Amino acid sequence: MPEELETIIGLEVHVQLATKSKAFCSCPTNFESLPNTNICPICCGYPGVLPVFNRKALELGLRVCLALGCKINGRIYFERKNYFYPDLPKNYQISQYKVPLGEGGCITLSTGRKIGIERAHLEEDAGKLIHKEDCSLVDFNRTGIPLLEIVSKPDINSADEAFRYLKLLKLTLQYLGVSSCDMEKGYLRCDANISLKEKRAKELGTKVELKNMNSFHGVKDALESESRRQRISLEKGERILQETRLWDETKKQTFIMRTKEEAHDYRYFPEPDLVDFVIEEPMIEEQRSFISELPAVKEARFKKEYMLRENGLTEKEIDILISHKWLADFFELSVKELGDSKNIANWILGPFLELTNSLDKGFEQVKITPANFSKIVKYFLEGRLNNLGAKKVLVNVLTNNEDIDKVIEKEKLTQVSKEEGLMPFVEQTISENPKPVSDYLGGKQSAIMFLVGCVMRKSRGKANPKVVKEMLEKRIKVKGGKI
Amino acid sequence: MMKEAFKLKAADLAKEIKEGSLKGEDLFLDFKERAKQIDSSLHSFVEIYDEPQSTKGDSSLKGIPIAIKDNICIRGKRITCGSKILDSHISVYDATVVKRLKEAGLLILGTTNMDEFAFGSSTENSCYGPTRNPWNLERVPGGSSGGSTAAVAARLIPFALGSDTGGSIRQPASFCGVVGFKPTYGRVSRFGLVAFGSSLDQIGPITTNFVDCAHLLNIICGFDKLDSTSAKLEVCDFTKALVDQIKDIKIGLPLEYFKEGLDEEVKDAVEKAAKLLEKKGAKILDISLPHTEYAVATYYIIACSEASSNLQRYDGVKYGLRAKADNLIDSYKKTRRDGFGEEAKRRIFLGTHSLSSGYYDAYYLRALKVRTLIKNDFQEAFEKVDVILTPSSPTSAFKIGEKADDPLSMYLSDIYTISVNLAGLPAVSFPCGFTKDNLPIGVQLIGRPFDEETLIRAGFTYQNLTDYCKQLPKIAYA
Repeated sequence: MPEELETIIGLEVHVQLATKSKAFCSCPTNFESLPNTNICPICCGYPGVLPVFNRKALELGLRVCLALGCKINGRIYFERKNYFYPDLPKNYQISQYKVPLGEGGCITLSTGRKIGIERAHLEEDAGKLIHKEDCSLVDFNRTGIPLLEIVSKPDINSADEAFRYLKLLKLTLQYLGVSSCDMEKGYLRCDANISLKEKRAKELGTKVELKNMNSFHGVKDALESESRRQRISLEKGERILQETRLWDETKKQTFIMRTKEEAHDYRYFPEPDLVDFVIEEPMIEEQRSFISELPAVKEARFKKEYMLRENGLTEKEIDILISHKWLADFFELSVKELGDSKNIANWILGPFLELTNSLDKGFEQVKITPANFSKIVKYFLEGRLNNLGAKKVLVNVLTNNEDIDKVIEKEKLTQVSKEEGLMPFVEQTISENPKPVSDYLGGKQSAIMFLVGCVMRKSRGKANPKVVKEMLEKRIKVKGGKI
Repeated sequence: MMKEAFKLKAADLAKEIKEGSLKGEDLFLDFKERAKQIDSSLHSFVEIYDEPQSTKGDSSLKGIPIAIKDNICIRGKRITCGSKILDSHISVYDATVVKRLKEAGLLILGTTNMDEFAFGSSTENSCYGPTRNPWNLERVPGGSSGGSTAAVAARLIPFALGSDTGGSIRQPASFCGVVGFKPTYGRVSRFGLVAFGSSLDQIGPITTNFVDCAHLLNIICGFDKLDSTSAKLEVCDFTKALVDQIKDIKIGLPLEYFKEGLDEEVKDAVEKAAKLLEKKGAKILDISLPHTEYAVATYYIIACSEASSNLQRYDGVKYGLRAKADNLIDSYKKTRRDGFGEEAKRRIFLGTHSLSSGYYDAYYLRALKVRTLIKNDFQEAFEKVDVILTPSSPTSAFKIGEKADDPLSMYLSDIYTISVNLAGLPAVSFPCGFTKDNLPIGVQLIGRPFDEETLIRAGFTYQNLTDYCKQLPKIAYA
């Protein structure tokens, strides 16, 4: 009986850094442009051109390295990675090899497991190939966009853990504001190395590189599939060959792309067209100042402060709140105003998210301040606005932050709780709806809600439904159903 | 043409233009006619333009025609680098130097022939055929900027730009009897110069005299934000260095540059030049550059390594030649097989091998270390002397075809010039005599980094003492 096998996984994540212009020329980086419109002689490798390094890319890369706790190499330089491929106009990629921007560091998962970071280095993105039936087309728009490649140590022991690592890394990058990390748009890509070894063995097994995963779930599935394939082979006594395999999303299987023998010799050497860059302390300090509380820490604190108490938030609610730094900040600032985390959370996770999800640019378009938002929630809790009215106010001020009291005034949204104001509506409703009234008297409790709705409509939404219900109940009982 | 205008200095012609006695456009047409007439036997031009591109700019050289080595981009014009692989690629932008020439009001007359991608020392490796030496049509003009130096020597053009990776301005300047100046690495922007060895390449002027050289340097030198390796230094007015005075200058003669392999006639002429400068007040000192013997090997490893990578972009996908094939790999192979000449292929092989895993440490990395030693040699020497005087090339111009099948002996033709590129120093070759066969001999002066002035001062002083630069090959009068 062979010893128990352990899966060893290392991940290589490429993230596009959100600079306005490319890494080595001034072409724009926007994703939506038509093919081959964000290009120039430099990123297309025309004869005679030279690269000039975009300092912004270094700054963003540095921010990530600092956040991951990497050791920063004070003097960096670029190297050329040489290989022929049509999406690489110069047939070499400007990258970092011997001396990466950052080395070491780690990410701590919520399970408590620490996943080490081997290195993080800067490089330029390649173009995109579009394969048609009878030809292949090249789009150089992406060529030269700055990338940070973050390589983990082989510390990951399962596909599930890989998934957690990726999710947390992505969230961390988003918190740092260095990339939107949109995988569908290719802003974030992931390759994986996986091998199996006997649990007690010190040496790692032969690793296989996996490519072509287009989502975190794809990475998870590919790792599970490949782990299974290797396990079956090893249990049969076969040897694993060092090779690169491609994940087929539809067939849910990996297929061989190239063997070790076919691997490239990249002939790295220092890029002579660029000069060394010294990273000075002020630059490091500046980038450090952009790093606020990171998601893992925030999650732990949110749980402590908002979950573990009476009427606390649920784990799922906290997950959603911290899934976006902007949202988590908005939540906390609103709580600070009102002091009621549960109701703020309810209003954020409910009406607020519903509204912002329908905006083109999401939170970017939101103008309402936490102070005004919490004021709406406060008015609701005090009964000055009913649910519908509060939502109406929110819709009105969400993207312009207008004065709430003025909006209520203008839209006449103040909730009517005074009985004398509502009595005519109650009377009318009872006389117009004999059937539901008799149903209610007959014991059908739900009929009362229909009548409440009628009153609400008559008051154009301004009535306090709680008061209306009480009035209706009292009125019907007093009259004994007789109209 | 204004009576024998071709014999005048560009700076003097420019004065006449400024005074109104001469029109730049007319001068352009005159030189165009002259070039078209005489170049049929020289083949120094790849293309002669009908009209100047721009006539707007201004400077001390406004209105003077100039020729550009065909590896420097001119917007809207064909760039060939002497290679089939670029086919009829049209540049979509101006090199920084071209932009500066246009802004200075110079009129680009055409592009000059060169060894393919500047790989060579004879201008025989051009897909357009060899250029001939104006002093003797059986001889090579040197290379790789042989088209530029031949055109200037025959006065088909007042001056030209060349590029120098291991001697490609200075060696042909010495073969053709003109002044070829390689500025300090970083002095002139490389943006728009088609790369050969990126850490070695530098654009420089090829002129008939030091006055024009200083004026042209004023225009092309200076920081360029498009070239990260260009130096962020104020550029002084080089014409201020045109002073006939060298009393305070210490000149070093490196022992290693006067050993075996050096032609006797060349040696005599160069030593005579040193003596003449000594007579004028310079102090001559013997110095040593001990790592000189490793320079050729070091240079060919570094230059070819960089070249092998720089030339990867010529694959038929984006521009230039594209061979028809059934699949991508075959198209790459066929394009590059058909497009590159023998010497280009040789250097791609050499460089690819030097950078390959398993060989990198023994070749490329070691070459980098030796490069530092060579650099240190010069640094130490410049603690004792202000300039270093050497032959420009071991011989005068050799015969066409003589070394075509012997790449090693061809490489040795640059033995005195390549260390300068490895160290990134400024250097100039200028005429210092003729062989008994009436072939020009060149002497080289090497300066401290960014001390072009001292070279100009010494060269200017020397030219005032001699008349070598005033002698013209017969073909100039044809």
